[in-house]
Amino acid sequence: MSPTSRSVSLAAVAASLLLATACGGGTPTPAQVDLGSGPATAGTVKKDALKGVNLTFVSYGGVYQKGQQDAAVDPFAKESGAQVLQDGPTDYAKIKAQVDSSNVTWDVVDTDAVWAEAQCGKLLQPLDYSIIDKSKIPDGLATECSVPAMQYGMVLAYNAKKFGANPPQDWKDFFDTAKFPGKRGYPGLPGDAAPGPWEAALIADGVAPDQLFPLDTDRANKKLDSVRSSLVFWKTGAESQQLLESGEVDMAMVWSGRAYAAVKNGASFQVQWNQWMPIMDTLGVPKNAKNPKAAMALINYYLGAQQQAKLTELTSYSPINTDAKPGLDELGTSFLTTQPEVAPKAVPIDSKWWADNQPAMIEKWSAWLGG
Amino acid sequence: MALLDELSGAARPVTKGRAAAREPGARRPALLILPALIALAVFFLYPLAVVGWNAFTDPEPGLGNFTWFFSEPANIATLVRTFTTALWVTLVSLVLSYPYAYAMTVAGTRVRAALMMLVLLPFWTSLMVRTFAWVILLQDTGVINQILGAVGLGPFSLIRTQTGVIIGMVQLLMPFMVLPLYAVMSGIDKRLLPAARSLGARPATAFVTVYMPLSLPGVSAGCLTVFISALGFYITPALLGSPTDALISQQIFTQVNGLLKWGRGGAMGVILLGLTLAMIALLAVSLRRAGKRVSG
Repeated sequence: MSPTSRSVSLAAVAASLLLATACGGGTPTPAQVDLGSGPATAGTVKKDALKGVNLTFVSYGGVYQKGQQDAAVDPFAKESGAQVLQDGPTDYAKIKAQVDSSNVTWDVVDTDAVWAEAQCGKLLQPLDYSIIDKSKIPDGLATECSVPAMQYGMVLAYNAKKFGANPPQDWKDFFDTAKFPGKRGYPGLPGDAAPGPWEAALIADGVAPDQLFPLDTDRANKKLDSVRSSLVFWKTGAESQQLLESGEVDMAMVWSGRAYAAVKNGASFQVQWNQWMPIMDTLGVPKNAKNPKAAMALINYYLGAQQQAKLTELTSYSPINTDAKPGLDELGTSFLTTQPEVAPKAVPIDSKWWADNQPAMIEKWSAWLGG
Repeated sequence: MALLDELSGAARPVTKGRAAAREPGARRPALLILPALIALAVFFLYPLAVVGWNAFTDPEPGLGNFTWFFSEPANIATLVRTFTTALWVTLVSLVLSYPYAYAMTVAGTRVRAALMMLVLLPFWTSLMVRTFAWVILLQDTGVINQILGAVGLGPFSLIRTQTGVIIGMVQLLMPFMVLPLYAVMSGIDKRLLPAARSLGARPATAFVTVYMPLSLPGVSAGCLTVFISALGFYITPALLGSPTDALISQQIFTQVNGLLKWGRGGAMGVILLGLTLAMIALLAVSLRRAGKRVSG
C-alpha cells in the first residue's frame, strides 16, 4: 500500500467514525420523536418534527418510485426536516437478511399486498394507527401491518384492430381460442404467484366469480393446459408492455398501468373491464426498523388526498384516498380502476386466503410453469 | 527427431503447471498469490460455506432440503434442462469457434487483429446490453424474423424458447471458447501439416490426425469454461427464455427471493456445485489420458 492510499483510507475510516457518532448522537431514539398531539391527519406532518432523522424509502424504481418521491416522499422530507433516501428495488430476500441480522436500513418498504399480509409479525411490524390516519382509505384495504400504496388491476387487454367489431367480453372469451384465434400474453413471473392467472382460468371453466375461493388450482391448471400453446408468458411489466406494442400477442392479461403505457405509446389495444382483478402495492415497516414512528409518519403523509392525486397524475396508478381528485386527461382517466363504472365490475379477491397460501401457491405455479 | 520434439512441446500445456510447481524456489509465488487467496476466502469461500451450512440446517438440521429437491419431478426436469442447455451451448460454441480460431492463426497480421477485435468488442460490452439487443433481434416481430419474412420464411418463434436462450448464450460465451483455442493453436507448428502430407497423408487426414489432437488442450479449456459458465447463467435465460423453460439458477431465485427458503436455495446451489465439480473431475481424468496418448 502506498503512503497516499494509506492516508486516504485512514481519512475514510476517521470520516465514517465521525459520521457514525454524528448520526448516533443526532438521531432521536423512537421515544423522542414528537409528532405533535391529537389524532393524525393523512397528508400532514408536524413542521420540523423529524429534524436529524434519517429514513430510507424503498420501492420498485422506475416511473413509479419517481412519482412516489415527487408526490409524497420529498415533500414529506421538506416539511418534517427528515432526510429521506431512496433505495430499491424492493427485494424480499434483502428484507429478510436485514431483519435476521437485526441491521435494518430500510424504513418504509413498498411491497406486494399479499406478501405484506403473509409477513405481518414476521418481517413486517404492526402499524400504529394513532400515527397513521386510515379514515380515507377504502374499507378493508388497510391491514394490521400494511396500508395500500396505490391500486391497479389485472385486466384483459385486446387488439382493437383485430377484435374491435366483436371484442372478447370476459375470461371465457379469453380462453376461447376457436372464436378468438391468436396468441395471448399471460403472467409468468418467476418466483411469484399472485391473484390473476388461476382466477381467470377458473372463471373461464365455469366457476362463478364470487365462488372462486379456495382456489381449485388443479382444475385451473387443467384449463390453462388446454390453451398453453397459445400463451406467451411475460416475466416483467416491461415485457408485457413490449408484447402489446410489438403486436406479438392479440390479447393479454396485463397490469392496467402497463396497458395504459402501451396504448399511450400507440398500441391499438383496448381494455375489457369485465371481471378485472384489483391489485395493490402496500407500504409497511420492517421489524426492528430503527425509527418506526418516523417511518409511520412518512406513511401517514403519503396517504394524503393531495399526495395521492399527484401520485396518480405522475404514475397513472389509481389513488387510495377517497378524496383524491387527480387531474388526468381522458385516456389516463379511462384507465383508473376507481372510476365508478369500473369498480363494480371487479372480481373479488380473497387476499386473506392468498396470504395464508401464497408459499404453497408459488411452488404449484412454478411447477406448472416449468412442467 | 525435430518433429517429435515439436510434438511433445506443443502438448506441454497439459503438464506444464505440474512441472513448474516442483521447481525449486516455487514457494515465493505462493506469497504473491496470498492477497488474492485472502480475498477469495473472505468474499467467496466464506459466503459459499454459509450457503452450504444453510442447505443442511435451514429450517432444521438434516437432509430435508435435499430429499425435497430430489422428490420433486419439476426440479429434476430443471436440472436436466440446465445441463442439456449448457451442453448445447458448449457444442455450438465449439463448432463456431474452432474454424474461427484456426482462421486467426493462418490470417495475416492485420486480418488477425480485426478478427481479435471482433471477439473482444462484444466481450467488453455489458452482458445486460447484449441480452436486451437479442430480445429486439429475436422477438416474433424482430429484425431476424423481418428479414426471414422478406425472403418468404418464418416467422419462427425464437424468443422465449430454448433455441433463443442457446443463441444468446453462445454469443455471450464464444470469447471464452475462441481465446483458449487460439492460444493453443497459435503454438502449434504449421509445418506439421505439410510434413504429414509429404509422408502421404491426405489434407483432411493430416488435419484430423496431427493438428486436431494437438489443439485438444485448447478445446478442453474452452469447453470447460463455457460449460461451467453456462450452468450458472441467470440473466440471459431469464430474459430470452420462457418461464416454462426455467434453468436451475432461476429456480434458486424462486426459492431465495420468492419463498425466502434459503435452505432450499442453498441445497440447490450445493447440488449444482457438486455436479459441476464432478464434471470437472471427469474431464480432468479424460484429459490426462488424452494428454498421455498425445505425448506418449
